[in-house]
Parts: sequence; C-alpha cells; structure tokens
Amino acid sequence: LPICPSGDCKMSLQDMFDRLVMLSHYIHSLSSEIFIEFDQRYAQGRGFIAKAINGCHTSSLPTPEDKEQAQQIPPEVLLKLVISLLHAWNDPLYQLVTEVGGIHEAPDGMVSRAKEIEAQIKQLLEGIQKIIGQVHPGANENEIYSVWAQLPSLQAADEESRLFAFYNLLHCLRRDSHKVDNYLKILKCRIVYQNNC
Amino acid sequence: QSPPGKPEILKCRSPDKETFTCWWKPGTDGGLPTNYSLTYVREGDENTYECPDYKTSGPNSCFFSKKYTSIWKIYIITVNATNQMGTTASEPLYVDVTYIVEPEPPRNLSLEVKWPKDRKPYLLIRWSPPNITDLRSGWFTMEYEIRLKSEETDEWEIHFAGQQTQFKIFSLYPGQKYFVQTRCKPDHGYWSRWGQESAIDIPNDFTMKD
Repeated sequence: LPICPSGDCKMSLQDMFDRLVMLSHYIHSLSSEIFIEFDQRYAQGRGFIAKAINGCHTSSLPTPEDKEQAQQIPPEVLLKLVISLLHAWNDPLYQLVTEVGGIHEAPDGMVSRAKEIEAQIKQLLEGIQKIIGQVHPGANENEIYSVWAQLPSLQAADEESRLFAFYNLLHCLRRDSHKVDNYLKILKCRIVYQNNC
Repeated sequence: QSPPGKPEILKCRSPDKETFTCWWKPGTDGGLPTNYSLTYVREGDENTYECPDYKTSGPNSCFFSKKYTSIWKIYIITVNATNQMGTTASEPLYVDVTYIVEPEPPRNLSLEVKWPKDRKPYLLIRWSPPNITDLRSGWFTMEYEIRLKSEETDEWEIHFAGQQTQFKIFSLYPGQKYFVQTRCKPDHGYWSRWGQESAIDIPNDFTMKD
C-alpha cells in the first residue's frame, strides 16, 4: 500500500490520513501476531512479562497515556512524537529481522512478518513526513531520540536471556505500534474531521 | 477453622479504553468471616494501591474509573482474602488495558424493508454504537458484524459491516420471518456479545416490481 506510488501525486489530506491509518492498523496487527506467536511458542511459564515492566527503550518519550492527555497535546507535537516513536524502531527492527531467524525453530511466518513490519514502518514514516509538510510546513526538525542498547542481549549465548530480549522487544513493538495507530486515528479525526469522526 | 482459600482473578475488561473492571472468584472462607481486597501496582510507579471502587461493577469486582486508568501500562493486580486465621493472596494478573477492550453491544437496532423505484427491494438494517464509547475523537474505532437467519433455519448468515452503522440485504426469501442481531469490536480488541435480537416479516411480494 504505497502512500504515493509515483511520488509526485497531490493527495488530499483526508486520503493521506486514510492511507496512513490503514497502514498503522496493519502494522499493529502484524506486531500483535508476531508477539502472540512468540509468546505462545517460547515464553509460556517463563514469567517474562514481570521482567518486561519498564523495559521499553521508548518509555522515556513523553507520550500521552489516556484520551484526555492525547487530546490536549497540539497536533504538530503529537505528530512529532509519532515520528520519534517510529524512528526509535529503525535499529531494533533491523536487528530483529537479522536475528529472529536464529531463534531455535523460528517459524518462517515470524521472519517474514518482521521484514514486513520493517518495510511498512518506512512507508508510514514517509507518509507522515508528507503530512507534516502539508499541515506544518517548515516545522523545525528537533526530535527526541530514544537509544536502543539491547543488541548484546539479543545475541546472548544464554538462551533464557536471549529469549527474554526477543520477548521484550516484541512486547514493546506491539505496544508502540498500538500507540502510533491510536494517535494517528486521533489526529485524523482532529485535523481532517474537526473531532467529529 | 483455617485461613481462607486462594481467590482467583477471573478477568479484566474495558468497555471503552478509558475505564476497566476486574472480577474475581473467592476461594473457601475457612469457616470464618472473610474479607477481600484488591491491590495493584502500575508500571512506572513503585507504590501499591488499593482498588478505588468495589461497588460500581457489582460483587467481587473492582472498577477503575478514568482517573485510575492508563493505557500502554502494565497493571500487576492481586486479590487478597483475609480472615482471623490469616491472609491468602491470588496469583498476580498482569494487565495492559490496551489489550482487554470489549465493548457493550450496539443499540437501537431497526429493520425496514425498502422499495426503491425501479430497483430491487432490500432490507435496511440500522443500529447505533454502544452508549459509552467515544467514536468522534478517534480514540476508539469500532467495527460491526450483523447476523441474520430466517425462521426456517438454524444457521446464521454473518456479514461484516466495517465501520458503517447500516447495512442492506437484498437476497431474502419472500414470506418468511427473519431474526437479526449485531455486535461490535474495537479496531484492536474483543467482539462484544450479540446485541438484542429484532425480527421482521418479509412480504410475499419481496421481488423486483415490474
């Protein structure tokens, strides 16, 4: 679903948001599927969820945690938070795609989903940049970066540590992709439909 | 007489992604009067809190209003049973409200046979979203399903309606009574139960007029 196949077409804001929301919905669905599959296959009974608390590398980003907070943030700030969230996944997704194939008996579906998520997030980022260009031309570029430093655990020799590193990564990807999807749906209703979806 | 048996947290559900409720099943009471309390810890906060509202959602439940509900945060929830002989805690339940959304069913289901000029008649099915869900702001996105069956069959025919709140059915048997229900689900979450059933008699002349 490329946002703008030929690259030069002038799409309405509504069409752009409609496409973005379809994409963000799809990305979250994939993220959910890959997490649930991993959880069922590798994490049952290991208590990983207890260790995953406060474990996301993006938790330092000031993202809204409920509807009121999300509605109080100016649209351009929320759009930039979405971009920060997505950029924070560039490196981890690259490593996920690289390493997931090495998991013991990793199902092909998991590997292909990881690649698909990586590709679709790039599309989503491209589309959001276009919207920012239309909604807030000349918006300054300062952005909050989140560092991801869990590659060593992803490559750990000890299987328990390695499996937990994957679990935590997929748990956070599921969460952040849901945030992005939710925020884009709110932004669409605010910017395109003046809060009257 | 003995300490109470271990209570069990049955499930937690949010109807609107803004509040949520947890229900539990008491264990044995050890032959003594037993009290129950629910405590929780929320991701990013070291403190332990007690249930803010034991009443709103009925017996053996805890209701978290908007003020106490964050999403994208893990809640570690425990129920404690206490009598004179001691206290027994349930297994902890790890909950993120993001993934426990199950709305109330749609409302105001209405059925009407329509006879458009020079075109096939059809059954128009219309409904409203559940009351407590805010769809206007985009915080909540809802999808719907319809099922219908004639009185002469036990098998439901299911149609996915996407985000629409109306649906047209063209292929129906004239002269038969039909039963219709709808249900809904958030973009990411559980289907509601099927809503209230409505019925309609399809006229015998329910075919294309000459």
